[in-house]
Amino acid sequence: MHMLSHAEASEKFIANQERTDWHDDTLWFVRAKRDKASKLLPEWEALREQASQIKEHMLSNLPQYLLEFEANAQANGVQVHWAKDAHEHNEIVYSIIQKHGDKALVKSKSMLTEECHLNAYLEQRGIDVVDTDLGERIVQFRKEVPSHIVLPAIHLKKEDVGETFHQHLGTPKGNKDPQFLTEAARIHLREKFLEAKVAITGVNFAVAETGEFVVCTNEGNADMGAHLSDVHIACMGIEKIIPKRQDLGVFLRLLARSATGQLITTYSSHFAKPRAGQEMHIVLVDNGRSRQLARDEFRNSLKCIRCAACFNTCPVYRRSGGHSYHQPVAGPIGSILAPNFDKKANVDLPFASTLCGSCSNVCPVKINIHEQLWFWRQDLMKEGLAPAGKVLGMKFMAWMMANPTIFRMAGGMGRKVMNWFPFLVNNGLNPWYKQREMPAPPKQSFQEWYKSNRL
Amino acid sequence: MSSREEIIKALQEVKVPAKAYPGAFTAQVIGEDTLADFLYSMQVVSTTVIQVKEAADASPALDKHFPNMERVHLNPLADGLSLADIDVLEIEGDFGVAENGAIWLDDSNLPHRVAPFICQHLVIYLSQNNLLPTLQEAYIRLGDKQTGFGVFLSGPSKTADIEQSLVIGAHGARSLVVVLTEC
Repeated sequence: MHMLSHAEASEKFIANQERTDWHDDTLWFVRAKRDKASKLLPEWEALREQASQIKEHMLSNLPQYLLEFEANAQANGVQVHWAKDAHEHNEIVYSIIQKHGDKALVKSKSMLTEECHLNAYLEQRGIDVVDTDLGERIVQFRKEVPSHIVLPAIHLKKEDVGETFHQHLGTPKGNKDPQFLTEAARIHLREKFLEAKVAITGVNFAVAETGEFVVCTNEGNADMGAHLSDVHIACMGIEKIIPKRQDLGVFLRLLARSATGQLITTYSSHFAKPRAGQEMHIVLVDNGRSRQLARDEFRNSLKCIRCAACFNTCPVYRRSGGHSYHQPVAGPIGSILAPNFDKKANVDLPFASTLCGSCSNVCPVKINIHEQLWFWRQDLMKEGLAPAGKVLGMKFMAWMMANPTIFRMAGGMGRKVMNWFPFLVNNGLNPWYKQREMPAPPKQSFQEWYKSNRL
Repeated sequence: MSSREEIIKALQEVKVPAKAYPGAFTAQVIGEDTLADFLYSMQVVSTTVIQVKEAADASPALDKHFPNMERVHLNPLADGLSLADIDVLEIEGDFGVAENGAIWLDDSNLPHRVAPFICQHLVIYLSQNNLLPTLQEAYIRLGDKQTGFGVFLSGPSKTADIEQSLVIGAHGARSLVVVLTEC
């Protein structure tokens, strides 16, 4: 199957202009809430710097902190597993479920399990996976994937959700009231929580010093699942480690404010020990992270705390939708993580950006996202993975710009062509003409203007 | 070689330039008045506050707030599932955070870990002497306290997953009342 490139998929997304505008405005509204929340804190910039330094310190001592975390978690009575890759992660999770002989489980939001395609793996083995985050349940019913890591169903309108719930939960056709639909999901999922023996959660932060891990939700679904289950499996990427408990004070002040403009998520749950009679497992997953750690230019992408502030601010994400990125983590951060998994399949993503730098400006842990996008472009071009047209165009551009005489001639010719034969540029073959009017060419170049105007 | 050894070996082979731990972060006090800040945060997170001299004084206000509903006060119930039928659960909070309305609850406050999530409505009793300005002070207060489970809870459960419309009452409690006592 041919996977659509970001540009091709975006073209489909923006075909519906009303929806595109809604998506754009709604995410911008979330970005504005983030601005307001961050400005309430006089020490916001100092917090970002602190968070960045803690994460950089962690990355420079990752193996030590992982071993410290493992020892403390085990002392707390938690079973710790290690997975090199997605497949091993899925096998570990499946073997734990199999040991208990269960056929159903509840899962709260975990981008790592999306990255590992855990749902598909378990479903092929006859396990019924119930996603319990409302947005994730909606997209699961629709056999879609989340389009945003914090707001999984942001690509949908309430009419879509109403129709999906009518089909799957039997709500009255045409009812699209968010309050009513949320209540229907609450009743439906409560039944699942009360039945499930196995619960899977993600991990927002894991503290080396104490062996505890923190899971943040607004809905309370992670807690409903974990506390009612006999077996709690928490899945995390190895970069989620932080050194000390006191560091949580820094990260939890940044996370929700950056994500949705909330002061904090409703629930910030600290899991240290299984409750009496319960089994608790942690799966530590590498899946390419040690490879990314070794790339000097891209190492600090591993500082990410998955707040999605970079999604909400990105002019390209807001107008192309999460599915255009064909990756579990979309947006600017997804575009610098994805080539680490597969350069060829994700060659389009570092180019899905204007390099405006807004992503780096809002990032709570100060990842230089827009620079890394540019670094990936160079890397991918060097490896010859970029589309032939782009390679040719850039080579021609480089040659022209290195030759002042040719550059001047080309500029003059270009202006004449645009004046005399506008149809040569104003046509569908020119990608810059799509959704745009070409600008009127100026009468003279800057150089000509400068020569005639200098004193 | 086990996956554990392989991962650790791969990470050790990467030469990452050393970066020092930045040390503890000192928060700036946001407002002058921790109580006022807490009350403001409670409003932001859709929580009703009942201010009384002592806990027992809250009964009339709670009767009015939850008419004809049974209120169950913290009760060491062993079975989490049986808590699903409770209309209103009352528990004691440990301390609260003014900047975000978060209240710390842990195994020592909870009859069962699922209690504050599974009940329909939640009431938390909290002394206004136990309010801290920011989350940073909260973690200092927590120190190295060992608890199997603990949660910072800020407001009732909520979601905005359908068209960004805020709906209070997702999977956890549908509403939260904080009884703030003077002593």
